[in-house]
Amino acid sequence: MLRRFRLEEPESVAEVSELLGRFGENAKVYAGGTELLLVMKEGLVQYERLINVKKLGLNQISAENGTLKIGALCTHHELENSALLQQQLPALVKLEQNVANVRVRQAGTIGGNLCFAEPHADPGTLLMALGAKLVADKGASKREILAEDFFVDAYETSLAADEVLTEIRVPTPGANRKCAYLKFGYLERPSVGVAIAFSLTGGGVSDVKIAAGCAGPAPKRVAEAEALLNGKSKDEASRSLAQAGAIAGKASQAISDLHGAQDYKEHIVGVLLKRAFQAAVS
Amino acid sequence: MQFQKEVEILAPREKVWKFIWDVDRFIACVPGCKEAKTLEEGKRYAATLTERVGPFKVEFPTIIEVLEREELTHIKAQATGADNKIGSRMKIDLDVNLRAQDDKTILGFVAGVDILGKLAALGHGIIKRKADQVLDEFAQAVKKKLEGEA
Repeated sequence: MLRRFRLEEPESVAEVSELLGRFGENAKVYAGGTELLLVMKEGLVQYERLINVKKLGLNQISAENGTLKIGALCTHHELENSALLQQQLPALVKLEQNVANVRVRQAGTIGGNLCFAEPHADPGTLLMALGAKLVADKGASKREILAEDFFVDAYETSLAADEVLTEIRVPTPGANRKCAYLKFGYLERPSVGVAIAFSLTGGGVSDVKIAAGCAGPAPKRVAEAEALLNGKSKDEASRSLAQAGAIAGKASQAISDLHGAQDYKEHIVGVLLKRAFQAAVS
Repeated sequence: MQFQKEVEILAPREKVWKFIWDVDRFIACVPGCKEAKTLEEGKRYAATLTERVGPFKVEFPTIIEVLEREELTHIKAQATGADNKIGSRMKIDLDVNLRAQDDKTILGFVAGVDILGKLAALGHGIIKRKADQVLDEFAQAVKKKLEGEA
């Protein structure tokens, strides 16, 4: 049962930030509520106040100076149906089409998903490979956090107590930029998710970004696996995928749980990396 | 969940043994442990164990019972606690072993940790990882404390 709480209805990001600063751990930002309300109903967390941010209008998607700007309060449904993203960022659209189930996609927001930092979530992994930056806003000041620096641990992010995630900025991929996100799981949440992005110019692979998620407490970028593929021809890179996959598997910090044993997840990371590379190329 | 740890301490076994039974100093090495008190000297103790994973906080008022004690060598204990606020219970079966090696002591412990109730919804993997971190921190804190006094 959901215990009583006070619902705050601020009208600006500055007000949200002020409320968070004032009430600290007794208050929580409330967006789609698909994760938060579940754990509150279970009694795993209790907050005196929920700060409703749904009326702040942070659900715009736009392209500006080579950057795709995604409002943190865009629902998964809005993202999968965005004409702009379908054209400019199909990998994210495909990911969003497969997040959880249709009820979650209607209510859940990308910002809420990122801030809750549930280990078995999809978007953070792809955003790392896309080189995304997340805007942490206090109203009066804001900063950008690289997606790879955003996730600290399971359910923990690098947002300060009074910061609000307002926007996700993704460099618009050029024509030669290839990217893909693949996941595997047999429960509703994925066991493993792998994302890769790279430039393919004249048959050469460069600027590779690889991230592995869901297997461990938080998604991880895997620089060592990226280095194995960087600067190689497409065929040479294909031949290095097994080695890169093994490295990515270890780097994923996989932990054994109901979604699979550690070594199983590490293996799946390698399999998905290989397939994601092939999917991105084709 | 089973855990096994071993830490090498540059201190004689007698000193390590004495330290273990000094409740206040020992408890100070357990991350998130507070309000420790002796209920029955050498047999029963009470403490509150607190820990968090992101926004999820637990607080287990815990009773620790010493089941076996072999001077300078071995302690077998059991700790049980419940967090009624979030409807979860915890049980730890602990075996502590001390072994002298030259001028050092090898402090080893085997812990069987069971978490029951809603907290388990966080997932076995996350809880196991957290418990592992806590035990590592504890082992290092004991080492630091004893070697710092050398």
